[in-house]
Amino acid sequence: MTPSAPLAATPPTGDVRPALPLGRGARAVFDLALDGMVWSRRSLAMAVLLALPVVLAIVFRIVLQSDLRVRITPADFYGAVVTFYYLRFALPVAALFYATSLIADEVDGKTLTFLITRPVRRSAILLGKFAAYVVTTLALALPAAVITFFLLATANGWSGIGGRVADLFRDAGVMALALVAYGALFTRFGVVLRRPVIPGLLFIFVWELLANLPGYMPRVTLTAWLRSLVRHRPPQEGLSEVFGQILPAALSLQVLAGATIAFLGLSLWIFSRREYVIEQ
Amino acid sequence: MTRSRMVVFASMLVVGVGVVAAVGALYLDPARAAVGPLEAEGLALPADSKFVMGLDVKRFVASPFYARFANDRGQARPDAFAEIEEKLGLNPERDLDRVVIAGREAVGTKKEAGLAIVTGRFDRYKLGRAAEERPGVTTKNHQGTPMYLYNEGARGALAISFLDDDTLVLGSQRSVEAVIDNRSSGAGGLRANAKLLALIEGVKPGSTFWVVGDQSLLSRMPSTIPGGAGGSGVQLPSLRSMVVTGDLDPVVALQITGETVDAASAQNLADIVRGLVAMASLQAQQKPELQQLASAVSVTTQAERVLVNARFPYELLDSLHPKRRGVADAAPAGQ
Repeated sequence: MTPSAPLAATPPTGDVRPALPLGRGARAVFDLALDGMVWSRRSLAMAVLLALPVVLAIVFRIVLQSDLRVRITPADFYGAVVTFYYLRFALPVAALFYATSLIADEVDGKTLTFLITRPVRRSAILLGKFAAYVVTTLALALPAAVITFFLLATANGWSGIGGRVADLFRDAGVMALALVAYGALFTRFGVVLRRPVIPGLLFIFVWELLANLPGYMPRVTLTAWLRSLVRHRPPQEGLSEVFGQILPAALSLQVLAGATIAFLGLSLWIFSRREYVIEQ
Repeated sequence: MTRSRMVVFASMLVVGVGVVAAVGALYLDPARAAVGPLEAEGLALPADSKFVMGLDVKRFVASPFYARFANDRGQARPDAFAEIEEKLGLNPERDLDRVVIAGREAVGTKKEAGLAIVTGRFDRYKLGRAAEERPGVTTKNHQGTPMYLYNEGARGALAISFLDDDTLVLGSQRSVEAVIDNRSSGAGGLRANAKLLALIEGVKPGSTFWVVGDQSLLSRMPSTIPGGAGGSGVQLPSLRSMVVTGDLDPVVALQITGETVDAASAQNLADIVRGLVAMASLQAQQKPELQQLASAVSVTTQAERVLVNARFPYELLDSLHPKRRGVADAAPAGQ
C-alpha cells in the first residue's frame, strides 16, 4: 500500500481566501470541465455510440429505396431506436461513463487535491462538473436524435410529418431526462465507489431487467419510468411481452425528478464530507 | 469561443434547425391535423357521436394490402371505377384523401345511420348533376349550404352536402344538418365531447386507419365469450373506451388500446387475450402457417389500460387464406 494523503473538506480559516459563492464557483468549474469533457477520447467514443442511429436511419432509407422487403415502418423503426437503443442502452451507458468519472477521474489522475484546495466549495465542484456532463451528453445525443427523426419521418415523403413532430419534442425531453436521472445515479456511484463502472454496468444490464417483471418490481428501475413517458410501444418478446407495464406519465415525471434530486443531493452530501485518499 | 463551446454551439444549432423545421412542419404541413388525425372539418361531427373512425385513402391505396386484397377482387373493378369517373367525375383511388365516419346515438326507436365526411378533389358540377338526375332526390338550403336529399321526409332520408370544394358530408338528414350547424357556428360538435376528443388526441399520428369508441358504444358489445368451465363462457371485463390504429405498409400492424374500469380488470382482459394467443400457439403445432401468428401479437397493461400490438406479415395473411395464395404470389412483393 502506498502512502496516502487524506484530503478532508476543511472550512476556510482566516488566512485562507473565502470560497466563491456556489453559483460562481460552479460556473468556473463548469467552464473548466466542459473543455476537458468535450475534447476527449470518451466523447469521441460516445459520439459514435449516440450517432449510430443516424447511420442506421440512412441504411434504412437506402434499403427502402432499393425496394428490399423490410418488415417495419420508418415510424416504428424510429420508435424502436428511441425505446430500445437510446433509452435502454446508449443513454444509460453514456451517463455511466461520464457521470462516474466526474470525481473518479480526478482521484485516479491525482488532481482532486488541486481542485478542492481552490477557494471553491465542494458542492460547487460537483454541480459544475455535473452541469458540464449534462451539456456534453445533450450536445452529443440530441442532434443525432433530431437527424434520425427527420431521416425516418421523411422516408416516405414529408406528407403527414406535422402529426409526428410532437413525438420528436417528447422524445427529446425524455432523452434529456434520462441523461439527468441516470447521470445523478451514476454520479453517486462515482463519489462512493472507487471502481464504479462494473457496478454501473450491472445496474444497467441486470438490475434494469426488473422492469420486465410483473407486480411492483418495475417501479424500482429507472427504465420503466422512462419508457412510460414515450409514446412508442414497439412489439416485444419474452418476459417484457408477457409482463410489460406502462406506468402513469405524471407519476413517472414525479418519480424521475425525485430520484434525480435524491441521487444528486446524496452525491453532494457525500462528496462534501468524504475524505478522499490519493495514492502517492 | 473555445473549441468545446464551438462543438456545443454547433450541436445546438443542429437541434435548433430541427426544432424550427419541426415547428414549421407543425404549422405548414397541409396534412396538419386539428385534433390528432382529425382535420378541422371533423370537429363539426355531432357531439353525441358514439364512435369515430378515419381512413387515410392515399395510404390505403398505396399499401400492399390494397394491391393484394383489392386488386384481386376481379377485373371488373377498374371498369366500375371508370364508370364512376365518367358519371361523377370522381376516381376514388385518385381523388379521395381521407374519410371520417361517425356513429351517433339512436333517437327514440330510430336507428341512426352513420355519417361520413370525405375530403378530396371533387367535380361538383358532375356530382350535382348525377344527384339531381336520380329519382326521389330533392334539394334544400340549410344555413346557406345546399343539400341533396334522398327520400326527404321519409324514414331514413339521406343527405349529401358540400361543406366546401374539397369536403363532402353524407349521412342522415339530421346528421348532415347538425354538421352544417356546427361548422357555421364554430362551436359545439366534437369539441363538446371531451371524452371522445381525448381519445382521438391519443391516436398514433400517420396511421392508415383508426377507430375510437367510448363507453356508449362498447356497452353493447358481448360481455362473454363462448367456452370456459362448464360451458358458461368467459366473462369479459367491461371496456370504458377503445382506440384502434392500424397501418398496412410494410405489414398489417394494429395497435389496440382498451381502457377498463380498473387495473385488475385490465390485467384480467390482458390475460384473456394472452390466453387466446396461447391457443393460437397450440394450433400452430398442427398448422405451421399459424406459427407466426402467436409471435405477431403482444399484450401489455398500463394501469387500467390494455395495449395489444399486432403485426401480421402479408405472407402470414396469405397462408391463412389459401385461395389468395396463388393471387398473392402473382402480386409483386411489398407492393
